[in-house]
Amino acid sequence: MTRPLVRAGLLTTLGLAWAAAAALLWQSRVPGDLALPDLDAGEYFAASELGRARRYERFLRLNFVASQVVLLAVLALYAWRGHRLLRESAAGRIGTGMLLGMLGLAVVWLTQLPFGLAALWWDRRHGVSREEYPLWIVDNWLGLAGEFLFVCLALLIVMALAAPLRERWWIAGGPVFVALALLFTFIYPYLIPDLERLRDSELRTEARSIARSQGIEPVPVRVEDVDELTTAPNAEAGGLGPSRRVILWSTLLDGRFPDEAVRVVLAHEIGHHSRDHLRKSVAWYALFAIPGAYLLARSTRRVGGMGNPRAVPLSLLVLFVLELLALPAQNVVSRHLEAEADWVALETTRDPAAARVLFQRFTTTALAEPSPPTWSYLLLGSHPTIMQRLAMVEAWRAGAPNPNARPPDR
Amino acid sequence: MAPDGTPHPIRLVVADDLRRSRLTVFFRLLLALPHLVWLTVWTVAALLAAVASWVATLLRGQSPAVLHRFLAAYVRYSTQLFAYLFLAANPYPAFDGAGGYPVDVELDPPARQSRWKTGFRMPLALPALFLLAVLTGGPGGGGSSGDEAWLYASAGGVAWAVAFLAWFACLARGRMPRGFRNLLAYVLRFSAQVSGYLFLLTDRYPEAGPTLPAAAGQPPEHRVGLIVEDDGRRSRLTVLFRALIAVPHVVWLALWSVAALAAAVLSWLLTLVLGRTPSPLHRFLAAFLRYAIHVSAFFWLVANPFPGFVGREGRYPVDARIDPPAAQRRLVTAFRLPLALPALLVAGTLGVALAVVGLLAWFAALATGRMPRPLRELGAFILGYTAQVDAYVLLLTDRYPYSGPPAERLPEPEQPLAAAAA
Repeated sequence: MTRPLVRAGLLTTLGLAWAAAAALLWQSRVPGDLALPDLDAGEYFAASELGRARRYERFLRLNFVASQVVLLAVLALYAWRGHRLLRESAAGRIGTGMLLGMLGLAVVWLTQLPFGLAALWWDRRHGVSREEYPLWIVDNWLGLAGEFLFVCLALLIVMALAAPLRERWWIAGGPVFVALALLFTFIYPYLIPDLERLRDSELRTEARSIARSQGIEPVPVRVEDVDELTTAPNAEAGGLGPSRRVILWSTLLDGRFPDEAVRVVLAHEIGHHSRDHLRKSVAWYALFAIPGAYLLARSTRRVGGMGNPRAVPLSLLVLFVLELLALPAQNVVSRHLEAEADWVALETTRDPAAARVLFQRFTTTALAEPSPPTWSYLLLGSHPTIMQRLAMVEAWRAGAPNPNARPPDR
Repeated sequence: MAPDGTPHPIRLVVADDLRRSRLTVFFRLLLALPHLVWLTVWTVAALLAAVASWVATLLRGQSPAVLHRFLAAYVRYSTQLFAYLFLAANPYPAFDGAGGYPVDVELDPPARQSRWKTGFRMPLALPALFLLAVLTGGPGGGGSSGDEAWLYASAGGVAWAVAFLAWFACLARGRMPRGFRNLLAYVLRFSAQVSGYLFLLTDRYPEAGPTLPAAAGQPPEHRVGLIVEDDGRRSRLTVLFRALIAVPHVVWLALWSVAALAAAVLSWLLTLVLGRTPSPLHRFLAAFLRYAIHVSAFFWLVANPFPGFVGREGRYPVDARIDPPAAQRRLVTAFRLPLALPALLVAGTLGVALAVVGLLAWFAALATGRMPRPLRELGAFILGYTAQVDAYVLLLTDRYPYSGPPAERLPEPEQPLAAAAA
C-alpha cells in the first residue's frame, strides 16, 4: 500500500516539477493578450501564387506521410526480425548493439531513399533545389556515416550504463544526453564547412547595432554558400557563448530580398540569441528526453532491457514512435520561440513593411503555403504559418506607438 | 585448383634454385631489352591470332590447334621473360617460348570451351585484369604523364616493387630471397592464367588464390601468423553498408593507434635495454595488432561478422596468432625501422591489391551472398603478411616478415608397414 503511494507521490512531484520548468521556459516577450487579426491570404498574394505554393506543398506533405508510414512498417519489421542479425557480429554486447543500431539506420536509409529522391525531383521541378541527383545521393550516404557514429555513441552510453544500472540507466543516461545536446549546440557552427564572413559592411554594422539594441554583445554573422544546392532562402542562429553565430544562406543575399528584409532576418536570428532560445531549446529537450529515456527503458524491458543487444531493433521503433508522438508538442515549443523572435525583430527594427515583404517573399521564393492544413501545421509546422507571421506584423503595427520610427540607437 | 580438385589448364612450374648471378642482375633491365623488343613484335602477332582464335572458338567451340600452340608459346615466353626481368629466375630465357625454364608454365592442349564464356570473354576478364593491374603495375603504367599515373604505377605494382627490392638483395647476397621469388612466381602464374583466358587457351577463370606448386617451398615457421576459420558466407546487408558500418571501428582504431605509437616507442627503448619486450607492452601491442587485422578483414570482406573493439584473441574468424614475447637481437631492435622499410613497401603495394580484392568481393558477395574463395585466400594472405610486418615494426618479434604465399602440400608418402608399426 505504501509503495504505490510513494510512487504516486513521486510521479506527482515530478509532474509538477516538469510543469513548473515548462512554465518558466514558456515566458515570452510576446504580449500574452496579443490578438492576431484574421487576415485574408488573397489580400497578400495573387491567386496564382497561392495555387502554386499549395500544389507544391501538397505533394511534399503526401510524400512525407507515405515515407513515415513506410518507415513505421520497416522499423516494426526490424523490431520483429532484427535480432536475426545478431549472428553477423563477433563483437561483444555493446559492439553487437552498435551493429544492430547501424543496420537499422541502414535499412531506414534504403527505404527512405525513394522518398528523398521524389522530394528532390519535386523541388528541382519547382526551381527550389539545384542539387544534382548523384551528388544528393553521395551527400546523403556520407550523412549516414555521421548518423552511424551518432547511434554508436548513443548506444555506447546507454548500453554501458545499462550494465550496472539495469532498467534505471535512464536516470544517468537522460542527463548525459542533455549534456551532449548542450555540447552539440555549442560546436554546431564549427561543423558547417566553408562559412564566410558577411561581405556587406553596411549589414555588418546593422547586425552590431541590432545586437546592442537587443541588449547583447554583437554576434558574428556568417554566410553559407548554398547557391549550388537551392534557391530557398534561410537563416539560422547557432552556438552558445563564444561560439554564437548568425548564419545567413547566400540565397538571402542574392538580390531577391531588399536590405530592409534582410535586416529583419538578422534581427530575428539575433533575437534567438538575445532571448536565450538556444539554451531554452536544450532545456526543452531535457524535458522531453528524460521522460523519453524512461519510456524507452520501460518498453524494452521485455526483451532484456537496453543492456541486451536484442533490444536495439525494438528501441529504434520505440524512439521513432515517441518522436512522432512528441512532434506536435515540440512544434508548439518551436513555434512559440519563433514567434517571440519575430516579435523581437519587429521591436528592434520597427519596420513592419520590411517584415511583411520578407514573409510574402517566403511564399513566392520558397513556395511556403501561407495557410497549410491543420494536421500539417500540427505535425510539420516548426514556424508560425506565413499568415500568422503577417498577422503578428499587423498586430504589432496596430499596437506600436510609431510604427515607422527607427530604433533610437540607429 | 578447382573446388572439384581439377588442376588449372595453365600451371606454374618452379625449378629455380634461388642462386643469382650478380653481373646479370646488375644489368638485368638492359639485358632484357632485346627480349622486350621481340615481345612487342610477338604481342602484335598474338593479338591478331587471338582475334582469329576467338572467332574460330566461337564457331567450333574449341580453339584451333595451330593458334593454340602459337598463343601458348607466347604466354610461356612472356612468363619466362618477366620471370627473368623481375629476378624470379636467373638464366637468360630463349626467344621461342620453349619449356624448361626455371620459372615456367605448363599449358594443356586445346579443349572444348563454352561458347557463352567465349562470346563475352573480354568483359568477363575485366575483374581479373583489374587485379592483375595492381599485382604487376609497372613504371609509367596507365600511359598518362600526370600525377595520377605516377601514383598508380608506384602504388599498384607489387611485382615491380618486389623486383626493385630484390635487385639490391640479389646484388648483395647473390641469392634471391625465397619470399620475394615466391611472391613473384604467384604474380607470374596469375598473369599467365589471365593471358591464357584472354587468348582463348582455356575458358577456366584465372585463379586469384595465392598458392604455388610444392616445389616452391613452404613458408618458414614464423612467430606471427593468420588463422582463418571463415565459412565464406556473407550477409548482403552488412556487405552493402560495409564501409559505413566500419566507421566506428576506423575512428576507434585511429584513437588506439596514438596509444599504440607511444607504446611502441617505449617498447623499443625497453627491448633495446632488456633484450625482450616486457609482457604488458607485448600484450597491449598484440591486442592492437589483432584488432587492426580484425578491422581490415571486416572492412575488405575477408571476414563476415562485425568485430569486437578490444582485439581479443580467438574471437574472430580471421585472427592473428602472435607468440608470447621472446628474446630479440639488440642490433635488429636498434635499426628496426630502417630494416622494416622494404617490408613496408611490399605491404603497401599489397595493400592496394587488398583494396581491389575488397572491391571485387563487394560485388560478388552482394550478388551471391558468399565470398569467392580465391579472393578470400588472397585477402587472407595479404593480411597475414601485413600482420607480420606490423608485428616486426611494433617489436612483437624480430623475425623478418616472409612475403611468399603458401605452397601446395605434397601427399604424405606411404609408410612401410614395419615403420608404421614401430
